[in-house]
Amino acid sequence: MRRTAVALAATLILTGCGANDPKAAEGGDSGGKGGKLTILSASTDINFDPAKSQNLAITTLGLVLRRLTTWDIQAGKEATVVPDLATDTGTSSDGGKTWTYTLKDGLFYPDGSPITTADVKYGLERSFAAELSGGLGYHKGLLVGGGDYKGPYTGGELASIETPDAKTIVFKLNAPYGDWPWIASMPAFAPVPKAKDDPKTYTQNPVASGPYQVASYQQGTSVVLKRNPKWDAATDTVRAAGPDEVVFQLGQDATVAAQRLIADSGDDKFAFGAGFVPPAQLVQIESNASAKQRLVTSDAGALAYLAINTQRGPLKDVKVRQALQYAVDKKAFQVASGGAVGGDIATTLITPGIAGRQEYDLYPADPSGDAEKAKQLLTEAGQSKLSLVLLSENDPQSLAQAQAIQQGIQRAGITVTIKPADENTVIEQTTGDKPDYDLAISSWQPDFPSANGNIQPLFGTSEIGGGGYNISRYSVPEVDTLIGQALGETDAAKAQALWAQADKRILQDAPVVPLIYTKNSFLHGSNVKDFFVAAFPAYPNYLKVTLSN
Amino acid sequence: MTVDVSRHPLRSLTADRWAVAGGVTIVAFLLVAAAAPLLSGLAGQDPYTYDLNAVSDSGAPIGFGGGISADHWFGVEPMTGRDLFAIVVHGARTSFLVGFAATALSMLIGVVAGVTAGYFGGWYDRAISRFIDVMFGFPWLVFVIALGAIVPAAFPKQLLIILVIGLFGWPGVARVVRGQTIALRQRTFVVAATALGAGPGHLLRHQYLPNLVSTIIVYSTMTIPSMIGAEAALSFLGVGVPPPTPAWGRTIGDAVAWAPTDPMFLVFPGTALFLVTLAFNLFGDGLRDALDPRTIR
Repeated sequence: MRRTAVALAATLILTGCGANDPKAAEGGDSGGKGGKLTILSASTDINFDPAKSQNLAITTLGLVLRRLTTWDIQAGKEATVVPDLATDTGTSSDGGKTWTYTLKDGLFYPDGSPITTADVKYGLERSFAAELSGGLGYHKGLLVGGGDYKGPYTGGELASIETPDAKTIVFKLNAPYGDWPWIASMPAFAPVPKAKDDPKTYTQNPVASGPYQVASYQQGTSVVLKRNPKWDAATDTVRAAGPDEVVFQLGQDATVAAQRLIADSGDDKFAFGAGFVPPAQLVQIESNASAKQRLVTSDAGALAYLAINTQRGPLKDVKVRQALQYAVDKKAFQVASGGAVGGDIATTLITPGIAGRQEYDLYPADPSGDAEKAKQLLTEAGQSKLSLVLLSENDPQSLAQAQAIQQGIQRAGITVTIKPADENTVIEQTTGDKPDYDLAISSWQPDFPSANGNIQPLFGTSEIGGGGYNISRYSVPEVDTLIGQALGETDAAKAQALWAQADKRILQDAPVVPLIYTKNSFLHGSNVKDFFVAAFPAYPNYLKVTLSN
Repeated sequence: MTVDVSRHPLRSLTADRWAVAGGVTIVAFLLVAAAAPLLSGLAGQDPYTYDLNAVSDSGAPIGFGGGISADHWFGVEPMTGRDLFAIVVHGARTSFLVGFAATALSMLIGVVAGVTAGYFGGWYDRAISRFIDVMFGFPWLVFVIALGAIVPAAFPKQLLIILVIGLFGWPGVARVVRGQTIALRQRTFVVAATALGAGPGHLLRHQYLPNLVSTIIVYSTMTIPSMIGAEAALSFLGVGVPPPTPAWGRTIGDAVAWAPTDPMFLVFPGTALFLVTLAFNLFGDGLRDALDPRTIR
């Protein structure tokens, strides 16, 4: 969920799929002000440092921190980018290379001091610091001089962000970039007052600009948010700020959390789960009318895929990788992910709902795969005794998925050894510089509702290792050129055509096997209102949630 | 001067109905484990092949009691449709292999450390005893979880688990054996042998060890179920034998989430683990009663 949760950014067009909208609107009856909302989370930690955060604009971080722009996510409506701290989503000049924002009036921190553009600039600058890496960094390559800048602790100021006065901020970009308003909604565009910055503790103790501030932080146990008295609803169009208090219960086992929400007793009536409902509980909810009403399932969101490490031994051979396309049992993977409610079978890289997506299938086969075809390709490649290591996280759900992949591939006579490891080890292996795996299962939701977000982060040569998510370590100059062209294309229709072309071109090389377009299911208590999952992103909008009185 | 193990202890063991029941259960499970592929093959099953026709679209087994049918005697595993009977009988192999091998390893280390510490005494005894204390207090479970992340994938996980729980399982037996050895040192036959000029090798092999045999046998029998339990605990936590090798602990761990919808998925492997550990404990108890001359039956 991290990789999926993480990566999201700006969405535009995607919400056009009207067929599923009524479902998303379920549970949309309204509550009022007040009460204590509980959020059950499997994480042991919540990272509130905007520089290190990959949080969506509509989840945890959005309760505490505001950015220049943000997302307006409503049930059954298209996602749009709207002004947050700024008065508009940005005024461009110089052909899209310069973007200017003005702050609204009446913006204050909890201590009463005003929010200034100098704080926004400082917040952005610190996201360049090596000690604060790990956050969404789309802005880093776009700002002039961003490539070499080392952050404010050692590198001074970044000249391409100008603050002529306390209310105005100007960004100078390397190249025209029409989606900049979406970029300005990323966590790093939250204001950070220089005087209050301590890189070591800011993650637990951020200076609030949103309707809530962190009242207590107990690692591994709970985080309590209380109201920020200086937040003015008149300046904020997207945050309902219903509950008086928001409590995150951390380290909650997914199964136990789901059971609590199914039982719906006591305080759990005022709770929802931040994580997906596990498949076993989805089955249980089927036969529980009360819980069924409180289950909210997203449309197809992230792409779950099997990454093939294209730099390892026999996997360098495209024939072998194509054999894997046929050998994999997508049907078994789908069932292991919760069946039809867990996702739809995938054949493309660009996910449904993204503008310009073209449906195609380069390796047509039954959803259960075609072992004979796979064997034939392996024979052509001269590989008879292939033995591969499949890296998997060691939670039951991931292991079930890994076994589904394993049994599929083994039908083609390939030996697959599952290597279970904890989440952090898996991330380190897949995104680090010392890969020791042949196969890995991953999922990815675009940070932008643009095909760009489906392709570039997963297949650009620049994203191999060093924290990048090109975990199949796929590097083809022709594809890099194509990605570069598409990124630079300002005409939306032309850009979309280029991305669709890249989609097919990449899958010809078979660096990944698309498995399913995952659907996320969330469960909430009976007194939680305004809980919905819009078409993008496939996560609930925390900012709108209210409680019935 | 050695205790004859085969004489009337066996008779008193057979008179103990609980011990006999335990022994019979153990033998039955051993046979099942040995014949696992044959047994699951009777219905044409193995523990690895998916049968997605046996589960619904959402992954729940179709049919009564978790999909019990003529083909699937114990039903099927949710989300995969793999045969639960095949998983349970093959899981017995994993449990016995790890249980016996780890017990043998810890007995070997424990007996050697205990006998030598008791016999030689002095600084050697003090060093061993302190080391045993440290091992008792060592958070081995945390250690094993950490170890699992470090050891390369190429190292066989089953062997790793045997080594780890074997290497952490010996302090108990070492302490008991050491105590027994010290007690034996005062016995007249040992004093006589020493007075006649017997060397350490003779004393340990012919005077001490034969008199420790009953203790070792009883202790081994009691250790096996705790080793089986330890392996199941590790598998339950997801750091044991990696999938898809069947292991009761992992199946039980998976089944907990399914308990409300498919209780039989938990019942079958849970019952198997329960019966095996209970049987070993009953048998071990009976064996101790039979071998201990102080127990009057």
